[in-house]
Amino acid sequence: MKTIKQINEKIKNGDAVIVTAEEMISIVEEEGAEKASEIVDVVTTGTFGAMCSSGVFLNFGHSDPPIKMMKTYLNGVEAYSGVAAVDAYLGATQANSDDDISIDYGGAHVIEDLVAGKEIELEAEGYTTDCYPRKRVSTIITIDDLNQAMLFNPRNCYQSYNSATNSRDEKLYTYMGKLLPEFGNLNYSGAGQLNPMQNDFNTTTKTYNTFGVGTKIFAGGAQGYIAGEGTQHSPASGFGTLAIQGNLKEMDTKFIRGATIPKYGSTLFMGIGIPIPVLNSEIAQTCAIRDEDIKVPILDYGIQRRDKPTLGVTNYKDLRTGKLSMELDINGEKVDKCIRTTSVSSYKTSREIAGELKDWIVNKEFFLTERVAELNTCAPKSMKADAKLVRDIIKRPPIVAKATISVPEASKILIEKNINHLPIVDENNCIMGIITSWDIAKAMAQSKTTISDIMTKYVVWASPDEPIEMVAKKMSANNISGLPIVDNNKKVLGVISAEDISKLIGHYI
Amino acid sequence: MKKRIFYWISGRNVKKPVVSDIIKTYDVDVTILKAKMEPSEGFLTLELNGNEDSLVNSVEYLKEYGEVEDISQPIQKKEEKCIDCGACIVHCPVGAIKFEEDFSVTFDIDECIGCKTCAKICPTKAIIVYDL
Repeated sequence: MKTIKQINEKIKNGDAVIVTAEEMISIVEEEGAEKASEIVDVVTTGTFGAMCSSGVFLNFGHSDPPIKMMKTYLNGVEAYSGVAAVDAYLGATQANSDDDISIDYGGAHVIEDLVAGKEIELEAEGYTTDCYPRKRVSTIITIDDLNQAMLFNPRNCYQSYNSATNSRDEKLYTYMGKLLPEFGNLNYSGAGQLNPMQNDFNTTTKTYNTFGVGTKIFAGGAQGYIAGEGTQHSPASGFGTLAIQGNLKEMDTKFIRGATIPKYGSTLFMGIGIPIPVLNSEIAQTCAIRDEDIKVPILDYGIQRRDKPTLGVTNYKDLRTGKLSMELDINGEKVDKCIRTTSVSSYKTSREIAGELKDWIVNKEFFLTERVAELNTCAPKSMKADAKLVRDIIKRPPIVAKATISVPEASKILIEKNINHLPIVDENNCIMGIITSWDIAKAMAQSKTTISDIMTKYVVWASPDEPIEMVAKKMSANNISGLPIVDNNKKVLGVISAEDISKLIGHYI
Repeated sequence: MKKRIFYWISGRNVKKPVVSDIIKTYDVDVTILKAKMEPSEGFLTLELNGNEDSLVNSVEYLKEYGEVEDISQPIQKKEEKCIDCGACIVHCPVGAIKFEEDFSVTFDIDECIGCKTCAKICPTKAIIVYDL
């Protein structure tokens, strides 16, 4: 049993043995945990991935005459300045106020440019008071002009993360990257066996062995600290997170990088490394966690709900091979499918971080700290907000017709039932196409007489479990005013129209 | 041997079956990597496979009906911008991007067909496309 104080003494004397979490695996395998805990003093970890919940507190110093900043923009990206007169918080995901730039240059990019020492345009507007008579300020600053640039990231360093695939027949742009249709790819994120939280997690107590509030860490290339558990921290389910802080002025663009996830938003790639003091054999054993030991649930991001269906479970070792074979349930049929996998975080940079932190300790530039308190155990709650689903506003029974009816018959149904959309079905009531009043008008103009000539065969439909927000999005994306609602067997259950949705919105307002 | 070219076919020749002509006349295998037809011109990205003579003759023939340009390097990775995440890998239609042993992301420029998909997906905009 060692203490952190003893380890720091060894570091000071140049006697400490520091290894990365990758190196620790083979040491524990060869020597056993007991022996490994005697040999090794510190295990270094690292992770480098997109961490949306990141940002910086900036203090601009006072202008003359002074201003109370209320609306503050840095290179066109708004920072929240309802903090104090010249303090602002710039969030990584904040989009540009210029629609044409929007997510291509957001908060994360400003943060990277600050770290790079680039010039930033500051524009601010305030309301005048006796203390702060100035209304507007417009100037150019660099990070050196700021009193403080304090990185404070409320949720970083996820212990585990899901991998993402897409069951839909259209591509999706998610925070896990672009997901190709029909399970075209599986994207994952995370450093696996190098992940700091995984290496310190005690699976029995569901707490962390060594780190907590006040633990000194590697943050974006500088020395920072764990401020506490992160938001949505959920250690019991293996989804622990950290709130971290550090001095942006000391960071390095190699380890803190602005990025844009296509058609999703801007985000900050954050490099975090945490040293784990090997105080006993239990800690040594935990630090030997391997990629294959870390479970990664496979989620279907095609279901755009809070709780996405889990299609299976894999692990980082299999994910890193670049492909994964799995059995999928496609329309009630079991299908074996080989899905290409790819990472959306950088394992290479994670390794560099663990290595850099190791070098710092070896060079006596970094000493370990005792935690001030353990991380709180929390369980995240969901937001109380009613989901209005298609099934809630579905009208029964469905009004449908067979393809054998004539155009005048179809037009009669539309008029009599006072509807605009008529799904055309086969003998099992499964969708074949759809006719709208516009199709009928076109048929009259073009003298077409059969339903199959005029119906839309590529039908966009909705399922009863879809939220109406999704239906509204589908209608606007496809420029249509109604969708048939179908069950898993493509049987038509009803129709949802733009009018149905606008009625709801009217009701809510 | 293999040769990749960009090919414009001018407006008055768009109906001329130049691609099948070179296949028949010069015994060259053709892969159409990209084809875009507009009212007054056509644009193709072609991969020609054959012996040296057949490639030279094919290109000479194509030049009679439009313009040919060699694809030297359609894309380039900006090393200082790339963070080696790998988000681009699955989106390359020809498998020209991969992880090396050390998890750095590398491009096989010879395989690249200049489709730009990787450039669109890259979170740090680390890929430059030389579009013509």
